[in-house]
Amino acid sequence: MIDFSWLGVTLLLPLLGAVVAVFLKVPAVAMRVSLGFFAGTLITATAANLTFAGPKLAWLNHFAVDDLAAPMLPVLALLHLLTLLGTAKSRVSPMFCVRLLIAAFVSLAAVTCQTPAILIALLVLGVLVPLWDLMSRGQPVRGYLIHMSFFVALLVTGWQFVGQDIGYGLLLIALLLRGGIVPLHGWLPTLFQGAAYGTAMVFVLPLMEVLAALRLLLPSTPEWMLNAAGVVCLITAVYGGGMAIVQNEVRKFFAHLCLSQTALVMFAVMLHTSNGLTAALCLWISSSLALAGLAFSVRALEARFGPLSLREFHGFYEQVPGLAICFLMTGLASVGFPGTIGFVPMELLISGSVEQGLGVSLTLAIAAMLNGVAIMRAYFALFTGKRPTTSVSLQKTPMERAGIILIALIVFLGGWFSPGMVASRHHTADRLLDRVLVETR
Amino acid sequence: MPVLESFLSTLGLLIVAAPVLLLAVFFGTFLTQRRLQEATIGTLVQGSIGFSLLSAVGAAATMLWHRVAQHPIELGDWVITPHYHLSFEFVLDLLSLSYVMLTLVLCAVIAAFSTRYLHHERGYNRFFVLFALFLLGMVTASLSDTVETLFAGWEMVGLSSVLLIAFFQERPAPPRNGLRVWVVYRICDVALLLAAILMHEINGAGDFDHLVGKSAWPAHDPLLIGPHFTMLGVLFIIAAAGKSALVPFSGWLPRAMEGPTPSSAVFYGALSVHLGAFLLLRVSPVLDSSIWLQVAVVVLGSTTSAFAYLAGRVQTDIKSALAFASLTQVGLIISEIGLGFRYLALLHLLGHACLRTLQFLRAPSLLHDHHQLENAIGSRPREEGVMWEQRLSPKMQLWLYRFSLERGYLDTLLEKFVARPFVALFRGLDELETKWAKLLDGESKAKEAPRDQ
Repeated sequence: MIDFSWLGVTLLLPLLGAVVAVFLKVPAVAMRVSLGFFAGTLITATAANLTFAGPKLAWLNHFAVDDLAAPMLPVLALLHLLTLLGTAKSRVSPMFCVRLLIAAFVSLAAVTCQTPAILIALLVLGVLVPLWDLMSRGQPVRGYLIHMSFFVALLVTGWQFVGQDIGYGLLLIALLLRGGIVPLHGWLPTLFQGAAYGTAMVFVLPLMEVLAALRLLLPSTPEWMLNAAGVVCLITAVYGGGMAIVQNEVRKFFAHLCLSQTALVMFAVMLHTSNGLTAALCLWISSSLALAGLAFSVRALEARFGPLSLREFHGFYEQVPGLAICFLMTGLASVGFPGTIGFVPMELLISGSVEQGLGVSLTLAIAAMLNGVAIMRAYFALFTGKRPTTSVSLQKTPMERAGIILIALIVFLGGWFSPGMVASRHHTADRLLDRVLVETR
Repeated sequence: MPVLESFLSTLGLLIVAAPVLLLAVFFGTFLTQRRLQEATIGTLVQGSIGFSLLSAVGAAATMLWHRVAQHPIELGDWVITPHYHLSFEFVLDLLSLSYVMLTLVLCAVIAAFSTRYLHHERGYNRFFVLFALFLLGMVTASLSDTVETLFAGWEMVGLSSVLLIAFFQERPAPPRNGLRVWVVYRICDVALLLAAILMHEINGAGDFDHLVGKSAWPAHDPLLIGPHFTMLGVLFIIAAAGKSALVPFSGWLPRAMEGPTPSSAVFYGALSVHLGAFLLLRVSPVLDSSIWLQVAVVVLGSTTSAFAYLAGRVQTDIKSALAFASLTQVGLIISEIGLGFRYLALLHLLGHACLRTLQFLRAPSLLHDHHQLENAIGSRPREEGVMWEQRLSPKMQLWLYRFSLERGYLDTLLEKFVARPFVALFRGLDELETKWAKLLDGESKAKEAPRDQ
């Protein structure tokens, strides 16, 4: 009964928030109200996680907090809260808040959804939010539309043929496309350049393709398909890291970093071993939060200085040292620096891959290395160099300060509590694999 | 005996706890936005180093008194699944205690020097935060008994080194050089990471005693040597080569001199540059498993030594000259390890680190003294003795000079055959990607995105 009420409130709050925000005209009020709804969602999502004692169906038997969804609820709620918290007041519009709240509902509903057909519907609904954003900003949508039309078509058709190899193959391609796996990634840099940063973040960082792969694919997808997809993910991880190094615009750098990180998580899923799945589930949490923190500092910089280039040294450290530290902490956490939330998941992934051969582990380590180099290059370009002179204070705002403290605590406390996270995710991974075995028999 | 063991464990943990607490204090001030006074920072840093040093000396004295050669400190499995376990363990033995005491003594000297040297310097706080991170990294790596613990310390040392190279961040050269060093470090970290994975694959754990046996360093159990040891040895050598700037990674060492003098002294003259040698000493039984590994280590060490000697002879600034002089000795230490002279290598390492720290710290005032001397005698002091190069033919001398001046063309070669093709490949792919995106979106319709969030 408790699970039912917490989950219900968690799903209702962002929806209710979206409805309220539609009627608000003043951006600052819309932001405050939305922040309230996001904070409430985070509290109820955390309560749903803490009171989780076993799967229990709710909401017309379609949604439930299970061991896969339980830790993801607060993570996703936090991710959306951070996204709004990192948005400058001068850039917020009521419709932006509405889109964020709808995106939060879609993510939270998807992660708790137990019915494949509804999950597919939610994935399709999620695609519409960035489209709405791109159109409202007068940005070209054709590329995004083409990719996402294919995604929807493959997803729906694949589901029609589920149970046959062709069905799983189509579903797999659809999810690789949604994850931006090379060469189906053309929409990702365009989205980050054209759409609002916040909208792009909440579409990419929840890694819904990982969820869909775990819910829809793992039970019965032929092994050779997963292996082939794993190879493509591996190539994408290296490609994304390499591309992130040579980018000259911050947004494209971030887009490629997301590409590489997503590919690493998807690769871990494709391993379909106990170690691999544990790594995937842990990385899903750590990558989402670390990249959300990284985006937080990038957006705070862009709110002050406009679109940023990585061609020259900007010297922002002296103006906003807190953001510099936040950028470095979260960037390093995303590549598995010791002591941070990403360390154990990355270790698990690389060690879990050794069954596939040392060459695979080497490739993963190279991808992590390239991401690390890209992050340090971006850090130096943004925060070192000659100080710009400004007539107004560019110190961080109270909201940004709260966000930085939250992120710092997550990065380091998350690292400290990694063992608990691994134990819980390992249990979930084994349960998922048991399901695989049962279905295979 | 349990009392003695728990006493030693407590002392061992206190060595690590002090730098952890120091970093925690800095982290707390970051969260609460409090700015510490210079004097407070100095006191905190020196206090924590002093506390660690006292604990280390106490542990060493206790072990000597009770004739304990080795004391492992097991913190238990940190992460455990049926297929993987990650444990953080420390060990007190001759090697770890020697290196940790060297670290603490030199860091204490450098901390005392820096509080005056960097007085009123912009970035005083930043220097000491990074210095604290370096200290924790060095202490963790020195006392490590598992490859994961070593890796954690190793990475902290790398990060703090790079950020300190870029310390004078208003100029473009320090960050550029910092990035180059970071790239080399990351490449070598890949090797160490793979070595860790391979150790797990061989033994199911990353503990060094599973690799070399339970005996105290440098003794080892030859029965444990297995078929994967050669591969493991190669990975350790690559990791050590990057950290200690051995050939072909030597190009980063003079670039690292962009940082403030105290960090150059303690990092590249004394501690960080020896970390590769320390790693090879710790895993020396792995090297013993194959004559080819030993030969490779000797060749690597002597080549580095010869290269650094030649490059050092033509340097025109004192810090670069000292950096190459350090590298010459590091090369010799590596050769000694390859030849199996473990105690000699350890002694050489300890002595060299102390001497070089002194030289680096003395360097700025030495230049001042030289200028005074030249002013007093009215000319440059006469150079005495005949250099061996003068016996070579003029053509050979010229070639050797150019070779040394270009630092063996190592940077040029790496840039030409590794960095440039890599960048060209990905820039080409980026152009293709941009064209593809424009084709999909329709070029004419794209307009400048509003500065929205």
